[in-house]
Amino acid sequence: MTPPPGSLLAAEDLHKTYGPTKALDGAEFSIHPGEVVAVMGPSGSGKSTLLHCLAGIVVPDSGSITYDGRELATMSDAQRSALRRSEFGFVFQFGQLVPELTCVENVALPLRLNGTSRKEAERAALTWLERLEVDDLAKKRPGEVSGGQGQRVAVARALVTRPRVLFADEPTGALDSLNGERVMELLTDAARSTNAAVVLVTHEARVAAYSDREIVVRDGRSRDMERIV
Amino acid sequence: MSARRWAGDLGLGVKFGFTGGREGWGRLLLTAVGVGLGVALLLLTTAIPTALTVRHQREAARLDYTYSKPPAKSDATLVIADLDTTYRDKEVRGRLVEPEGPKAPLAPGLRSYPAPGEMVVSPALKRLLDSRDGALLRARLPYRVVGTIGESGLVGSQELAYYAGARDLAQHINGWQVARISAFGPPADQPEDKMDPVLILLVLVVFVVLLMPVAVFIAAAVRFGGERRDRRLAALRLVGSDSRMTRRIAAGEALAGSLLGLAFGTVFFLIGRQAAGGVEVMGISVFPDYLDPSPALALLVAVAVPAAAVLATLLARRGGGIEPPGVVRTARPARRRLWWRLLLPVAGLALLVPMIGQGRSHGNFNEYLVIGGVLLLLVGVTALLPWVVEAVVARLGRGAVSWQLAVRRLQLSSGTAARMVNGIAVAVAGAIALQMLFTGVEGDYSKETGVDLNRAQMQVRLSRGVSLDEAAGKFADVRGVRKVVAMGEASVGDTSWRSADGPRLSSQVTVGSCAALREVAKLPGCRDGDVFAVTGLGWDTDTPPLAEPGRRLHLDTSQGLDLSREVTWTVPHGLKRARAADAPNGLERGGFLLTPGAVPAQAAGAIVGQVYLSVDESVPEVHDLVRNTATDVDRFADVMVWTATQQSRQYASIRTGLLVGSVCVLVLIGASLLVSQLEQLRERRRLLSSLVAFGTRRRTLGLSVLWQTALPIALGLLLATAVGLTLGTVLLKMTDTPVGVDWPSVLTMTGIGAGIVIAVTLLSLPPLVRLMRPDGLRTE
Repeated sequence: MTPPPGSLLAAEDLHKTYGPTKALDGAEFSIHPGEVVAVMGPSGSGKSTLLHCLAGIVVPDSGSITYDGRELATMSDAQRSALRRSEFGFVFQFGQLVPELTCVENVALPLRLNGTSRKEAERAALTWLERLEVDDLAKKRPGEVSGGQGQRVAVARALVTRPRVLFADEPTGALDSLNGERVMELLTDAARSTNAAVVLVTHEARVAAYSDREIVVRDGRSRDMERIV
Repeated sequence: MSARRWAGDLGLGVKFGFTGGREGWGRLLLTAVGVGLGVALLLLTTAIPTALTVRHQREAARLDYTYSKPPAKSDATLVIADLDTTYRDKEVRGRLVEPEGPKAPLAPGLRSYPAPGEMVVSPALKRLLDSRDGALLRARLPYRVVGTIGESGLVGSQELAYYAGARDLAQHINGWQVARISAFGPPADQPEDKMDPVLILLVLVVFVVLLMPVAVFIAAAVRFGGERRDRRLAALRLVGSDSRMTRRIAAGEALAGSLLGLAFGTVFFLIGRQAAGGVEVMGISVFPDYLDPSPALALLVAVAVPAAAVLATLLARRGGGIEPPGVVRTARPARRRLWWRLLLPVAGLALLVPMIGQGRSHGNFNEYLVIGGVLLLLVGVTALLPWVVEAVVARLGRGAVSWQLAVRRLQLSSGTAARMVNGIAVAVAGAIALQMLFTGVEGDYSKETGVDLNRAQMQVRLSRGVSLDEAAGKFADVRGVRKVVAMGEASVGDTSWRSADGPRLSSQVTVGSCAALREVAKLPGCRDGDVFAVTGLGWDTDTPPLAEPGRRLHLDTSQGLDLSREVTWTVPHGLKRARAADAPNGLERGGFLLTPGAVPAQAAGAIVGQVYLSVDESVPEVHDLVRNTATDVDRFADVMVWTATQQSRQYASIRTGLLVGSVCVLVLIGASLLVSQLEQLRERRRLLSSLVAFGTRRRTLGLSVLWQTALPIALGLLLATAVGLTLGTVLLKMTDTPVGVDWPSVLTMTGIGAGIVIAVTLLSLPPLVRLMRPDGLRTE
């Protein structure tokens, strides 16, 4: 399959095995700027592995991933790290906030890693905390805030560098439905306002409803639901 | 709270400890191995008194000298000659034996005496002689090996010893090297060997200093994987266990680790005990069965270790309870209080202060106060360090991302960081104090030998009657010998040495060529046949009245080959005067100096030869080549390699003990540090992976880990130096020794501590890189 024209990130025929387990077995994917794509599927279907491959965290055994016309497989680890620092953002289900840093320092961290000064980074971080309605938590540590609040801080951190692609792996997996929905609203609104593409891994239809398009992964193979329809 | 409830909760914890699945078992094994290493070291320590006693008993059982009048020859006597030698810096205990009848006493470890020309050897000596390494020594021991010495005749498994059969030994009996004995064992009139109180103090402090870090290590080991265990126990709160109950269950889990650790420790100890038979550390070896822990102390270890595990866990949990997951958020930790932490070192000082100024003469240091005082001071380090780390990191400013990550981590959990370096800090504090004490009292236990190492580096003392010229020629031919100065020594008196009271006036006689005599005095001019009287020595008051030309003097022939003859010498009319000068051995020789032509022929048997050798130390095995030649010249020759200073044997043994112990403790602490470092990293695996996921450079994370270790270590070493210097000062004041800081030792100790940390950090880098892989993000 050829990636649709104008796609920002596209993958073809991805294969990845962990020991005897086939995590990806010919998976395909594409996303346009500003688009929100939900990757759905049951536990163990390979959706997180697909996200890790698309983000350049994991290198697939075979297949091709192109980002903005560049082939990820030919990039070095340092180049892929730099890409993740500057162009991608991440929200995970667990463990993404550094427990020792305050919320504002957590959000400022990606900017600081890119060389922005502390003051400037924290000023930008505060703006994003305001947008995510958690600016009152700026000086608190992750251990002192609720799960939903922490997840909003994580979304702020993911968006602070104004990434072109936001990867969200079960971002509401640890939240109740009310909190989950609020986080999703804020995440998609903020992403759309910056024209960021969002790759949203979830197994909840309620969360997938925030997307423009859904891809289902099963046994390491992907299916574009829009095309099937 | 009923004991049954306690036991029930502890039992439940023990059960959890053993049924935690693969991860639980991993944690349990980690704790057990850590505790096991500590227990093995403790058991080894409890075995040391027994080992020393057995060594002492065996040494005493084979003593072969007497202070009283030697027994008359009979069929129950043995003539024995001490031929101890050195081979490549290792001592070889050698004896020539000649039983004078069938009832002659048998040396411990022997079934019978070897015949002349044969020898029985220790197993280690046999191995050495059979190997290529023993070639030079084989040349020195020209006897056929006919058996081995049994364990009861040896003080260590690696001891080099032999008994060789000989004949005609009796004529060499001189009371110090060759003796006639009727029994082995300590002489009845042997003076009691009381240990110097300062040395006892040193031993006590060495034990406390070495064992404290082991205790700290065990306390740390029972908390390996504590954070993970806490999370698991938090789930118990959900099903209704209260916080005290949960604490007891946590203590039960630690108890499981410590009980398994006791078993591991026993196995490690037994393996180590067996292995100890095959090694020698700084000249000391033991037989495995020497290392039997005294039952009372072993029981103490068996009870104290599990009890300490339970107490350490309960105390560690006293501040923060384990709460159900998600119910209570992690608050900022409460600030540590200083007052009770200061109480410990202050109490330690209070115990030691009353003993200040007692010194050596009144030095009956109360051992309980010493142990208690040192213990409290060192425990004070472990109590103060978390406060110091917390207080300092709270004030640290912002910096690069790696620095910020490290500082914030330390601000949030300074206790974990302090716990990691406690062992090192205690070891360094104790070592600094001991080094100060050792350096301070070193002067009392080592003395300058006074020898002039520029003129000679070896001395060979020959028996009476051995031809000096011949000996000098042979030594001159040895590879590596640069210069040979040979001279004879004897004594003369105004009357016979055989009279009841001996001579009233006596003087030294030195025999040598003009060149040799110039080594001991300034001569006005010299030819063969000249005789000089040495003047200008204040202590030599007997020589002037004896140095009257024509006066007949009696040579001392009371010991030696030809004991029956009285040998006299008349002071010649051509007697010259010479001025005293330092001999190569640093001593001044007075009396008469005789060139060979002036020595009466019958005096040869009364003269003891001394050969001073200047050798090229760069020639391989030059000392052993000289020793071999000395044996060839005279089997009773006594060879000495000169050193600038000489140390008391007991003092040197304690210092050696400290070194051996320090090495064991530091290896143990290094291992513990590495384990807890890896544990910390494993705990943060997911976080590390997610940081890498959004592009954090590995270098940044690596540096952050380094800062996290380096900061507490730097603070720990600073505190250790302060406490060490305080303790060292108090100990020096106790022994009434001027207080001085041996800065090179302090820097060495802190350097070793820092080196361990660097090594541990480097060793933990590869696992860190592995943990930073994206696999950590996988949840399925």
